[in-house]
Amino acid sequence: MPARLLHIPKQWFAAWLTRRLPPVQRIRLQQRHIFIVPTLIGAAYAIALVLMLLVAINYQNSLAYALTFLLASLGLLTMFHTWRNLAGLTVSAAGSTPCFAGKYGNYRLRLHSDKNEYQAIAVGWNAKQLTLFDVAHDSEQFAELSVLGRRRGWQQGPRLRIETRFPLGLFVAWSQIDLAQNILVYPQPVDEVVIATAGQGDEHDSDEASTLAGVDDFHGLTAWQQGDSLQRIHWKAWSKGQGLLVKQFTEQQGRQQVLDFERLNGDVEYRLSVLCAQVLKLSQTEQPYSLLLPGQHIGPDLGLEHRQSCLRALALYGVQTA
Amino acid sequence: MNAKHLSAQSRQTLPRISLTWLLIAQALVLIPHLLHVPFWLVGLWLACAAWRIQVFRMRLPFPNSWAKAALLLGSGFAVYLSRGSLVGLDAGVALLITAFILKLLEVRSRRDALVLIFLGFFTVVTSYLFYDSLLAALYSLLPIIALLSALLGLQQSSFAMQPLVTLKYVMRLFAQAVPLMVLLFVLFPRLEPLWSLPQPADKNTVGLATSMSPGDIAELGQSSALAFRVRFDGDIPAQSQLYWRALTLPQFDGRNWSISEHVGTQEPQWQAQGEAISYSIIMQPSTQPWLFSLDVGSSEQADIRLMNDFRLQRRTPVNRAYQYQATSWPQAIRQPQLTQAQQQEFLQLPRSGNPQSRDWARALRQQYADDDTLVTALLRHFNQEPYHYTLKPPLLGSDSIDEFLFSSQSGFCAHYAGAMVFTLRAAGIPSRVVAGYQGGETNQAGQFIQVRQYDAHAWVEYWQRGHGWRSVDPTFQVAPERIERGLQDALPDETDLFQGDFFSPLRYQHIGWVNQLRMGWENINHSWQTQILGYQRERQHAWLKQWFGQVDWQMLGLLLVLSAALVIALIVLWMFKPWQRQVDPVQRLLNDFQRVLRKRGFNREIGEGLRDFYQRIGQQLPEQQQQSVTAFIDTYEQQQYAEQALDLAALRSALAQVKK
Repeated sequence: MPARLLHIPKQWFAAWLTRRLPPVQRIRLQQRHIFIVPTLIGAAYAIALVLMLLVAINYQNSLAYALTFLLASLGLLTMFHTWRNLAGLTVSAAGSTPCFAGKYGNYRLRLHSDKNEYQAIAVGWNAKQLTLFDVAHDSEQFAELSVLGRRRGWQQGPRLRIETRFPLGLFVAWSQIDLAQNILVYPQPVDEVVIATAGQGDEHDSDEASTLAGVDDFHGLTAWQQGDSLQRIHWKAWSKGQGLLVKQFTEQQGRQQVLDFERLNGDVEYRLSVLCAQVLKLSQTEQPYSLLLPGQHIGPDLGLEHRQSCLRALALYGVQTA
Repeated sequence: MNAKHLSAQSRQTLPRISLTWLLIAQALVLIPHLLHVPFWLVGLWLACAAWRIQVFRMRLPFPNSWAKAALLLGSGFAVYLSRGSLVGLDAGVALLITAFILKLLEVRSRRDALVLIFLGFFTVVTSYLFYDSLLAALYSLLPIIALLSALLGLQQSSFAMQPLVTLKYVMRLFAQAVPLMVLLFVLFPRLEPLWSLPQPADKNTVGLATSMSPGDIAELGQSSALAFRVRFDGDIPAQSQLYWRALTLPQFDGRNWSISEHVGTQEPQWQAQGEAISYSIIMQPSTQPWLFSLDVGSSEQADIRLMNDFRLQRRTPVNRAYQYQATSWPQAIRQPQLTQAQQQEFLQLPRSGNPQSRDWARALRQQYADDDTLVTALLRHFNQEPYHYTLKPPLLGSDSIDEFLFSSQSGFCAHYAGAMVFTLRAAGIPSRVVAGYQGGETNQAGQFIQVRQYDAHAWVEYWQRGHGWRSVDPTFQVAPERIERGLQDALPDETDLFQGDFFSPLRYQHIGWVNQLRMGWENINHSWQTQILGYQRERQHAWLKQWFGQVDWQMLGLLLVLSAALVIALIVLWMFKPWQRQVDPVQRLLNDFQRVLRKRGFNREIGEGLRDFYQRIGQQLPEQQQQSVTAFIDTYEQQQYAEQALDLAALRSALAQVKK
């Protein structure tokens, strides 16, 4: 029940935070962004001071009074020190690394100081998981916050908590900021036993496959690399002392893989997941592949960049882009 | 949320820097206590510290709960054995220190370390109950700073490994806190004790006791410990006038003089006469309730009363330095009338013993019918016979008065006073021994007098109908220099007087600059006692009245709050230096950019992303501006992602394009 009772104030607080701290990509923490409250340690400290004051009063001891007042003044002043340890710090979004749904990706943030020296700045999604950073004067630190990819597409990061208890831990100054940061979540890869491929001589006679089959020329020679079939070695060139060369011609091009959304069964998400797994599998081989989505045609191509754009297309398929 | 966080954080292991600070702090906190705690605690502390260090070096495990329970019970029992109880201040402090030591063994997490640090602060506070000198106070800054450093170390990230940096931060905090502390110290209302607490029993206190055998005062003569300090409101009277009364010792059992069981609290009859002398005294802890005053003393302080034998007494024993104001009328007439019973008390003698002295007294009585003449004759006797004044009198047998008067003839003030009262009583004159201090050393630097234990003295009072009590000092007849100049001048030959005190600066009184240094130091101590330790209710009232006129509690509270706010405001201003604040340059450029567009009629909504803003207004902009605005937004966002170093120049020139 208490959780339910707390729900309304929580919502109200979230709405208030949004008004007070709207999403921005870069924020220099200032008075209206920072909240400060005493901690439990601060409360214990206050109780200890009250006990000391009682000793001072009952023993009429000036030195006990003096120590009590010294610690009280010091504790009070740390409030301003704690506040200053957050004020003026610039926090900005610094990109993110994409991830697959169900796996963890990273948001990067940049902590930058142009004035003070900041010690023990804790950053995290909530108060329970925080990482400490020291940001020296006129320097920057990068923090990586991992986040679970939930659904494919753009996933917006929650508000992040940045806090500090420095110097004595009696107060905590904190802010909850929204850096309007997005992370790209790829579909969750699902391995399908039958790999739907299309190529020359394939019984499926799609348009794509036939256009690809039409390419029939000798493509060229490339240097042999481990894993290349021995049958394709250009022995003539080798006997001429030109080294091991591999023939690349139509036959191989014809084996190029086409990953076609339409040829798969199942619902959209399932198909995207299967395609995702296949992109991953193929990107580990040397074979070019292309991806066919309704209305999109990527490739054929090889390499990391191609892989990225395929995955991105899968992630954002049917998603409204901002 | 905070609670969960704390529990998460308290599970974290202790940073190395914190443990180092904790060990240092603990040593510094414990050092002053080592002088009064049971000696085995020292061993316990060393063992626990060694164990904890071995744990840190992974050589030993943490103690398990059985070991901890055994240590706790064992130490508690040991405290009980050494202190005879588990309540009372001494045992309480011993228990606190035991807990402070044992806690070290189980410090694993931040929360444990916090408990240890708070225990440390308490232990420092209790050390003030035992030692409150200026040096002790200065020393206590060391453990306080170490404890604060440990507290700060707990909050630092594990990257911070330099203890000096921590120390520097703490010192800065400390310096900032001092003005506010002084303010609170001066203005925070001093309350009466809320309930009574066990007081520290200082077993080593030297001073006058409730009974006196001839040797006792001679023993005090060996001690140069401070008894009390006096500051006169007017001129300092002559040394020979300074008879500081503490006690009267009317009971004689043949060997010892002791106090009367029925000293009443009803004020004795007396009449003020002549000029009054006002002074304030700060006395060292004596564990006794009686105070020191010149005759006849009175005080307006509520807890001080004049006792039946003209001594001033406080309601409770003086267990820590105590300051009071008194006024004396040296020429007052004291108790001109005594009842028969009272006279009998001051004529009391043992039934037998000292026959020779009794015979001599009877002879004197026959010779001099008048009391005053008899006393004069007796004093002349001490003056003219070959009496010798010494701190090392020969041991006397059972008829001590006879032996002293007729064979050894050498002794200390107590011998002379005792012998004289015995003789007077035997001659039928009511009389008593008065114990106290005589003289004192004048500190020219501070215009006050210091009275030490070796100034302890005993003299005689005899009573005459109509005239009351009169004071005479037989010692003056034997060794007038004792009264006029002090003990050291009276005993130039007894050079071993201060042998026990090789380091005592008193030993080097004849070296001018050493003596001046000593006087200066004692002057500082005097100010420390009056201004700082003595800053209690009365002094605060007087001080506030001097500066602010009549001040009631509400005014005081208001004054405190306002001035504290002012001090905090000044410190905060100094900390943040708002006049030096530089606006974030990137933010400033963005503001400029938004202002330019606003002038053209495009207002960016609060919370609207720059891209969204552009998408909304882009179509309405002329083509050339579209380009420059996009260029600015691109440059700005690159800065945000910080994949490149901050390049203000690029952003600035992009803005210049927009402004065109």
